[in-house]
Amino acid sequence: MTVRDIIKRAFLVEIIKGMALTLKMMFTKPVTIQYPEERRRVYEGFRGRHAFVRDAVSGKEKCIGCMKCANICPAQCITIAKEKIENKLVVVKYDIEALRCIYCGYCVEVCPVCALVLTEEYEYSSTDKAALYFDKEKLLKNWDEFAAKQQSETYFNKFWRPDGVDSAKMPKSKREQGPVPTRPVLKPAEPAPVAAMPKETAQP
Amino acid sequence: MNPSPYNFTWPFSPPDNIVLVIAIILGKILVMVAAAMLHVAYCTWFERKIIGHMQVRIGPNRVGPFGLLQPIADGIKLFFKEDVIPRPGVGSTKFRIVFKVAPLLVLFATLSSLAVVPVFEAFYIANINIGLLYILALSAVSTYGIIMAGWASDSKYAFLGSLRSSAQLISYEVAMGLSLVGVMMLAGSLNFIDIVKAQQTSWHGMYLIPQFLGYFVFMVSALAETNRAPFDLPEAESELVAGYFVEYSGMRFALFFLGEYIAMIVMSCVAVLCFWGGWGLPPVLYKVVPALNDLPQSVKTFIEAVVFLCKVYSHLFLYYWIRATLPRYRYDQLMRIGWTVLIPLALVNIVITALVKYFF
Repeated sequence: MTVRDIIKRAFLVEIIKGMALTLKMMFTKPVTIQYPEERRRVYEGFRGRHAFVRDAVSGKEKCIGCMKCANICPAQCITIAKEKIENKLVVVKYDIEALRCIYCGYCVEVCPVCALVLTEEYEYSSTDKAALYFDKEKLLKNWDEFAAKQQSETYFNKFWRPDGVDSAKMPKSKREQGPVPTRPVLKPAEPAPVAAMPKETAQP
Repeated sequence: MNPSPYNFTWPFSPPDNIVLVIAIILGKILVMVAAAMLHVAYCTWFERKIIGHMQVRIGPNRVGPFGLLQPIADGIKLFFKEDVIPRPGVGSTKFRIVFKVAPLLVLFATLSSLAVVPVFEAFYIANINIGLLYILALSAVSTYGIIMAGWASDSKYAFLGSLRSSAQLISYEVAMGLSLVGVMMLAGSLNFIDIVKAQQTSWHGMYLIPQFLGYFVFMVSALAETNRAPFDLPEAESELVAGYFVEYSGMRFALFFLGEYIAMIVMSCVAVLCFWGGWGLPPVLYKVVPALNDLPQSVKTFIEAVVFLCKVYSHLFLYYWIRATLPRYRYDQLMRIGWTVLIPLALVNIVITALVKYFF
């Protein structure tokens, strides 16, 4: 032990340094975010409440029932039922159990038509299990609530084009997916049969 | 008449207005206890705020402006909580009465020490010649409360906590007593008022300067005596859950809590009275600012009380500051510091003080 060490120990240099630090910290601004009044900024890539992107033109979900999401889901929380109606494959049931979901975002990454999204919504806790069992209508409603809060006219989720995946290997619809409109789009009035559309797409 | 050792003569004739005298004493006690309770309540608030800001947090701010009503909310909560008393195990010889008495004993011991603390020269409950010794003795009594609590709880955590606490208190009482010997030698008295008056003879008006070694030893042992961080081993949360009061709930827990905080206040008062010149301003200040001498007596008394309280609060702040900074010591480190550092330092302080006092 050198003389320097002895002096350091005898005069409690380390303790005095530490106390100077805590005293200095006392006069800095607290870093606390007072939650209900203040909110933390939600960063890009945040994975929150599930939603179905509502197609701005048709007003319906974009899901084609390919089962990729249900197959990749590690928690197996997605249930899909399809039926052939009028010679067309229709997704009659699409359920996500939010209580089982682990928010990995694989379903969003894998979806070939970018129909699914994990929104930035995070305040949806409930004491009721049924409220966290999202069916198709609830998922679309989640999107409406989320889209209404968006400032910009368009929205693009970064998991629609996952990092590290060769975009050449993606299906065309996924590769060419651009930002989706957050407001219902009024279709330009051209032919008469489609003219009725806007009324139908007017969202709640 | 046969002289017997028990044949005392009443040392003074009772005063004519004995009822008034007793009423005044009771009033003083009431004021002191109420002030102490209020101080404890707002000590917790002050502590949480200080430690919060030192940890770059806010601290309590929800109940009332700046969280000022938080201690009241805490008190109400503790008061209405269920009082759980553990059933003694099969074959246990433990008594519930011990469990019930333990927190009262701790609170009694600490509250009684307030009796000899003079806030300013004319305000004290008892002006006894052995004030300092009385406080040291009562701080030893609270050890019994802690041991009783640990034993009667019938829980290994509580028991280990109380054993640690008793060993700690016994070790540090030695250092604390020795650290105050220097003050006693310089003042030639154990009476707090005499000690404060003796300090006024020097220009700086405090024993802190000649007795800095004693002050250091006293403050470290005061931390250990009151079971405060970094010597809060008896209630080491990470090891013993809460230590000796782990089985206590509601009001009985609150009594321990009150006892701990009052002990902290008492130790701060002793530090102020013995080392910081009590309620006195440095006499040199009266020479520099002669106008202070011309103030009316009531204003002077008010200033004295404010000065005393400010000094006590700064000591409480020191407690919280240390708590926010230092991690808890290990048990062997605690014992080593007590026996191999503090006690020799206190002895050296006594020798130096004695030599200085003898030769100068």
